[in-house]
Amino acid sequence: MGSAALTILGKDLRLRLRDRSVWIFALAVPLGLTVLFSLIFPDTEDLQITGAVVDLDGGAVAAGFADGVIPALVDEGLLERIVVADAEAARSQVTDGDLDVAWILPVGFSDAIGAGEQVELEVLVAAGRSLEGEVARGIAEAYAAEVGRIGLAVTIEAAMTGGLDPGLIGGLGELAASQPRLASLADEVSDVGDPLDFTSYLAAGMAAFFVFFTVQFGVTGLLEERKLGTMPRLLAAPIRPAAIQAGKLLGALLLGLASMVVLAVASAVLLGADWGPPLGTAILIVALVIAALGVMALVGSFARTAEQAGNLQSIVAVVLGLVGGVFFPLPGDAGVLRIATLISPHGWFLRGLDAQASAGDWTLALGPAAAIVAFGIVTAIPAVVLQRRRQAW
Amino acid sequence: MGQVAQQVLRATGLRKAFGALQAVDEVSLTIAPGETYGLLGPNGAGKTTSISMIAGLLKPDAGTIEVDGRTMTPTATAAKAAVGLVPQDLAIYPDLSARENLRFFGRLYGLPKAELTRRLDEVLSVIGLTDRADDRAGEFSGGMKRRLNIGVGMLHGPKLLILDEPTVGVDPQSRNAILDSVEELATEGLAVLYTTHYMEEAERLCDRIAIVDQGRIVAEGTRRELIATIGEQDVVRLTVAGDAAAAAAACERLPAISSADAEDDVVVCLVDGAAAALPQLLAEVAASGASVSGVEVREPDLEDVFLHLTGKALRD
Repeated sequence: MGSAALTILGKDLRLRLRDRSVWIFALAVPLGLTVLFSLIFPDTEDLQITGAVVDLDGGAVAAGFADGVIPALVDEGLLERIVVADAEAARSQVTDGDLDVAWILPVGFSDAIGAGEQVELEVLVAAGRSLEGEVARGIAEAYAAEVGRIGLAVTIEAAMTGGLDPGLIGGLGELAASQPRLASLADEVSDVGDPLDFTSYLAAGMAAFFVFFTVQFGVTGLLEERKLGTMPRLLAAPIRPAAIQAGKLLGALLLGLASMVVLAVASAVLLGADWGPPLGTAILIVALVIAALGVMALVGSFARTAEQAGNLQSIVAVVLGLVGGVFFPLPGDAGVLRIATLISPHGWFLRGLDAQASAGDWTLALGPAAAIVAFGIVTAIPAVVLQRRRQAW
Repeated sequence: MGQVAQQVLRATGLRKAFGALQAVDEVSLTIAPGETYGLLGPNGAGKTTSISMIAGLLKPDAGTIEVDGRTMTPTATAAKAAVGLVPQDLAIYPDLSARENLRFFGRLYGLPKAELTRRLDEVLSVIGLTDRADDRAGEFSGGMKRRLNIGVGMLHGPKLLILDEPTVGVDPQSRNAILDSVEELATEGLAVLYTTHYMEEAERLCDRIAIVDQGRIVAEGTRRELIATIGEQDVVRLTVAGDAAAAAAACERLPAISSADAEDDVVVCLVDGAAAALPQLLAEVAASGASVSGVEVREPDLEDVFLHLTGKALRD
């Protein structure tokens, strides 16, 4: 069986390498999309914002932002803080483009928070600095959200006791700045706590997404043989029918692995991507290709023709890829979306890369890899049974 | 006992049903080395199902198959190694060259490298594709593809070569080349099982012929033996204008006519002594209200045998 399977594998690889579509799906498109997305959505790791904070309030809550959050962003290298005299000076420098952004904390900011009233933290953004503006706005909104939550708690307490504890108000800004979300705010923006940078994430996501298309060529191979009319000849040959199936799956496995490895290396060399410790990456890649084989084989076994199989497989591959978050990194508070990634091998793959890269420990890839392989096994068993039933002239 | 051992193929009591359709019903046949055996019948007669079982692609519901003394089943690799199959539909890879196609299937049949190289050149020569050996099969003409299809079947030197309607859709020149190749293979001692619905091919190639209809072999023998089932009769074909069926019914009433069948505007009669019976025949047709526009008298062929046995014409 081994020799026959290898003979079929050799023939299939020869055909696939002559078939330009396999090059397109396995290498050109994922690499191209990674480059494209990297250009459209620049990595915030390289971003440095020139900004100023104008504290017109002078209260504790405002100080929490100006002296708590902002210095943390400076420490992370995201922000170059420029000292300005007043709000007018900040406004003028933003208008001139000398500053990318400026945060204006208005008079009465702390008191308003203490009283549970609506208050505005103004963010000024220079023309043409939309990305910097989005980051600045995100920082302000995150701070406001944290302060609002704490402020509400204080307000409730004040209402129940009949008065507001001045000490509590004083500690409000400090409390807000020390909240986990704010503490990690700079990290989130600069990607320090998310070790897969944007480019690496995209490259891995694209590779994971397209490997499901790459293995299609193998798992629809039996339908292709039937379409070509060569299946009777294969079945008439003095080989075990299982050898035909084995040859096809082996071809898909090799193509899938090759495309993933080449993309990992190419994205590292060309785009500076880093998927984390190589051993963990290799384990995750093997697991993902196994899952892709199982899922695609199962979907393909419900089809009567190669075309039908291709259509069904494409739909499943796209849905799983989208659910798995291959196109954009999901933020930590993405809630349902983040949970949904658990039903996709792509999601586990990216989760595994992220975990091992963040800790620099390849063993952290093992758990996600096991989950991915489980996808492969659960789908491959019924696929093999179904395909054997259909393996006839 | 010696006679039994000489048979390359021995199929006995084959039966195969697909749901309510009995595709093959009690088919038995034997083929000796160097013998070309024809399965002659219209499309849907059960020829392809029969050879699918003989090639080990389908498991019979009943019956046994032995190829070169080995029992054939879908997993019988030793028996399969003795069979070369040329399916009715082209079974080659268009993106591989002729040589690559042959090499791939040769490897599947386990040919050693040196023998494979030798056989490649031999087969390419036999099928007339030596000059195009390294061209993609997809670029070949229909006839060249058919020849390559046959070449793949005979590459590994099988004891039994099964050809399922190998000339369907082939131009006359390629058809002749294919028939020449098959004749040559038989002279080299290969047993050939050849299915066709072309009477001329069966007459030219086959030492023995089985006439198949509705899954059953309705007659078997040499061409001479099959034609003898009609007797010493002549075939008279009358081209008529008018109701051919009524004309055939009128002709059949004559004592000299053993059968008369209408096919479109032609009445085909089996006649004892055509010269004497012809005037009466023409008179009966005229009396039925039809007029005769053409008369052909000839010796019977397998087409007439098939018509006589089944009441149907041998055609698509």
